[in-house]
Amino acid sequence: MAEPMKQFEVHTIVPLNVAGLDVSITNSTVWMAISATVLAGFFTLAFARPSVVPSRAQSVGELLFSLIDDLAHSIIGHESKSFMPLVFSLFGFIATMNLLGMFVVPFTPTSQLAVTATLAMLTIAIVVVVGFWKNGFGFFKLFVPSGVPIALLPLMVPIEIISFLVRPLTLALRLFGNMLGGHVVLNIFGSFVVSLGLLGLAGGVATLGFLGAGVALGSVVALLALEFIVAFLQAFVFAALTCVYLNDVVNLHSH
Amino acid sequence: MAEATAETTATSEAPAKGSGGMPQFDFAVWPGQIVWALIIFVSLYVVLSRVLLPRVRAALEARAAKISGDMDEARRLRAEAQVQADAAAKEIADARLRAQRTASEAKAKSADEAKARQATLEADLNARISDAEVKIRASRDQAMTNVRSIAADTVVAISEKLTGEAPAAAAVEQALTAVSSAN
Repeated sequence: MAEPMKQFEVHTIVPLNVAGLDVSITNSTVWMAISATVLAGFFTLAFARPSVVPSRAQSVGELLFSLIDDLAHSIIGHESKSFMPLVFSLFGFIATMNLLGMFVVPFTPTSQLAVTATLAMLTIAIVVVVGFWKNGFGFFKLFVPSGVPIALLPLMVPIEIISFLVRPLTLALRLFGNMLGGHVVLNIFGSFVVSLGLLGLAGGVATLGFLGAGVALGSVVALLALEFIVAFLQAFVFAALTCVYLNDVVNLHSH
Repeated sequence: MAEATAETTATSEAPAKGSGGMPQFDFAVWPGQIVWALIIFVSLYVVLSRVLLPRVRAALEARAAKISGDMDEARRLRAEAQVQADAAAKEIADARLRAQRTASEAKAKSADEAKARQATLEADLNARISDAEVKIRASRDQAMTNVRSIAADTVVAISEKLTGEAPAAAAVEQALTAVSSAN
């Protein structure tokens, strides 16, 4: 049985050590860079010569842009324009990493908790910074839900604080878990195809192994389609939650 | 997966993940990934927010402006066409009214003329009819007197043949009067 976890191993490609910190270039960092380059390259090419009647690539770019622009606007409201590039960068970066990871050769950086946790912490850090920048110390009103009886506040405030602190954790784990799980399941079903097929070669009753290999192959195909959806959807969910968290601090007064 | 590089580097990293757990929890590779993730994401954000996304928004806004401009132009042209269509409709209505008036005038005129001609013809015919009636009456009277004289002559001739002598004219006249009054 192949090891389903082997695909997540991080290998050093160019060893690098800065101030005692191991910041080597690894397969994970290389594929992050490739994903970012693919995304930026796509938009550079698609909008090299934008026209009123769009080319196919321009249509796709506009579609993705509108998807996130509308999402940000529907959640954050009229101030969404200044946050849309951030939300779009998160969405595009994660979606590109996820989708590239669906192919055999690329490594999937979003299956690394280190990467998803970094993006989640960065998102929450930006939310906190924006919160203080917009509201000053009024930011702490985020933890005091309005319309709650004073007597309940000692209970509610700790709950709100915990729920806020859990946000980066859920943000990181949701993406990480989805990518990890999808890749592991695909790997296991894929290895079933091979091992059951080899078993079938033995002949006799073992010929039934071909049947099992066929079922496993069908499952792989179906799961692959599902994982493509998940790859896109998780990027969208990350973007949507970023919008929700930003909305909490941008429109704090309306809480 | 690049198996070749995997094999070469796996040996050097083997001690770090010797426990057989998930490679993601090998914290030795965290700092590099965190630092690079931040560097790459921030660069991507700068490129997207400064250069690429404004281009997309500009393209979308250019299209929206073009569409609304075209719509305004179309609306203006439609209004213009409406005005012209109204003017044309009014002209047609005027022309129809004029034509109707002309037609009814012509009809009335021709009816008057026909009536006048009919009246003269009728008068002419009536005059000729009465003339003819007068003539007919005259010739009938003429004929009646002729019939009487023929009858008298016949009576005279028959009586002469039968009796051999001509009756007196007065007697014939008397008998004829008696017969004609008996009739």
